[in-house]
Amino acid sequence: MRLFSFLGRLVIERLRVLFSVLEIASSAVWSAVFRFNQGRNATLSVLFKQVYFTGFEAIPIISWIALILGLIVVTQSLSILPRFGGEGLIGEIMVWVIVREAGPVFASVIVIARSGTAIASELGSMKVSKEVWSLEMMGIDPLHYLVMPRVIGTAISVFVLTFYFEAVSILGGYLLAGFGKNIAFSAYISNVLGAMGFVEAGVSLLKSVLFGFIIGTVCSYHGLLVEKSITQIPQETTKAVIGSLRLVFLIDAVITFIFFM
Amino acid sequence: MTDPLIEIKEITCSSGDGRKVFEKASLTLFGGEKVLVTAPVASGKSLLLKLIAGLVKPEEGEVRVFGGDITRLSDSELKSIRKRMGFVFQDTTLISNLKVIENVALPVMYHTDMTFDASMERSRLLLEDAGFTGDLWALPGPLPLFAKKEVAAARAVSLGPEILLCENIAEGLTESEMEKTASFILKYHGHYGGRLLILTSSTAAEAPFFKPDRRITIEGRRFVEGR
Repeated sequence: MRLFSFLGRLVIERLRVLFSVLEIASSAVWSAVFRFNQGRNATLSVLFKQVYFTGFEAIPIISWIALILGLIVVTQSLSILPRFGGEGLIGEIMVWVIVREAGPVFASVIVIARSGTAIASELGSMKVSKEVWSLEMMGIDPLHYLVMPRVIGTAISVFVLTFYFEAVSILGGYLLAGFGKNIAFSAYISNVLGAMGFVEAGVSLLKSVLFGFIIGTVCSYHGLLVEKSITQIPQETTKAVIGSLRLVFLIDAVITFIFFM
Repeated sequence: MTDPLIEIKEITCSSGDGRKVFEKASLTLFGGEKVLVTAPVASGKSLLLKLIAGLVKPEEGEVRVFGGDITRLSDSELKSIRKRMGFVFQDTTLISNLKVIENVALPVMYHTDMTFDASMERSRLLLEDAGFTGDLWALPGPLPLFAKKEVAAARAVSLGPEILLCENIAEGLTESEMEKTASFILKYHGHYGGRLLILTSSTAAEAPFFKPDRRITIEGRRFVEGR
C-alpha cells in the first residue's frame, strides 16, 4: 500500500512539474507570436543578449569540440573501412554520426553547460533579490520580458550552433585526419553531400530547435522556482542541468526512433 | 473635491505567513496629496504597497485604484494600472544585469513605442535631474546605496506616473543625501498637478524633507489619521 502511495505521489509530482514546464513553454510561444509588438524594444534587447551569449560566445568551445569529434570519427572510420574496401562510405558515416545525432546533441550539451546554468542561476538570483517582483510592480510580465527572449534566444542559438558544429566537424575532420590519406577532398565532400538527404537535414533542424526550446524552458522554470534563499540557486541550477539533459536525450531517442526506425 | 485616486474600503488582509495585518481598514487618498504612512517594521507598509499594486488581494473589502476595483480586474487591466504608478523600493531592486541607464529606460522601452535612442536620451536627462553623477553604462551592483536610490527614483518617474510610492526612502541615507533625493521627487510631484505621493516609513525620518500634507499610522490593524 505504501509503495502505491509513494508511486502515486511521484507520478502526481512529475505531472505537476511537466504541466508547469509546458505552461512556461506555451507562454513563451504565445508571447513570441501574439505579443511580439508589446514591449518590443525591451524584449528584443534581452533576445539579442541571449543569442550573443549563448550562440556567438560559444563558438570557440563548439569549434574545439567539433574539430576533435570530426577527427575521431574520420580516424576511426578510415581505420576500419579500408578493410572492407568501403572508403567511399566515409561521407555516409559522417552524415549518420555527425548530422543525424552528434551535431544537435553535442551543441545542446555545450549550451546546457554554458547557458542553461547561466539562465537558471541568473533568474534564481533575480528572484532572491526581488528583481522579478519589482518587474511585476512595474507592470512588466516576467514571463514575457525574462523568459520568452531566453527560450527563443536559446532555440535560435542551438539551431545555428548545430549547423556550425556539423560543418566544422565534417570539414575539420577531413583536414585533420583524412588529409593525405587515399581519399580526395572533392570526393569526400561529394560523398557527404550525396548522403545528406532532406530527412537528415530536416531532422537535424527539428532536433536543434526543439532541444534549444527545451533547454531555455527547463532552465527558466528552475530559475523561477527559487524563492527567498540564496542556497536554492545552486540546487535549482543542478536540477535544471539534469532535467534538460534528461529531456534532450529522451526527445532525441524519440525523434530518431520515429524517423530512422 | 476630485475623485480619489486610491480608495481602500474596509479591507481585511493577512500577510504571507497567515498573520492578520489589516482588519476592516479604510483609507482614501486624493491626487495632489503628499501622504506619509508610518508604522513599525512588519506592520503592513509593504502589504499596503502590494495591495495598491494589485499583487495581493484582500480577503474582504475593496481596493479601488483609479476608480477600478483591483480585486475584480484581469491581469492585463492590472498591468495597465501599474503602468500609471511608480515605485521606489526600500532596497531599490534595480535589475542587476542591466546598466544604470537601461534600468531607467526599461519601463519606457517596455510600455511605449519610443525608439531606443529616444528612451536612452530621456533616461540620461532623468538621471541628470535626479543628481546621478556616476557612469551611466555601469552595472548598478557596486554603486553606493545613495546612487542606487537616485537611479531607482529616476526609474520610478520615467513613465510619468500619477501615483508615486516610496518605501522607506530615508533608510541608509545621510541628511544631505536625503535632501537631494527628496528635492528630485518633490520637483516631480510639484511639476505636474494632481499627482499623489505616498511615502511609507518605519521612522518618519522623511517628514522634515517632504513636509507631507497628511500623516497616517497603522495602528490596531487600521489606518489612523495623524497630525
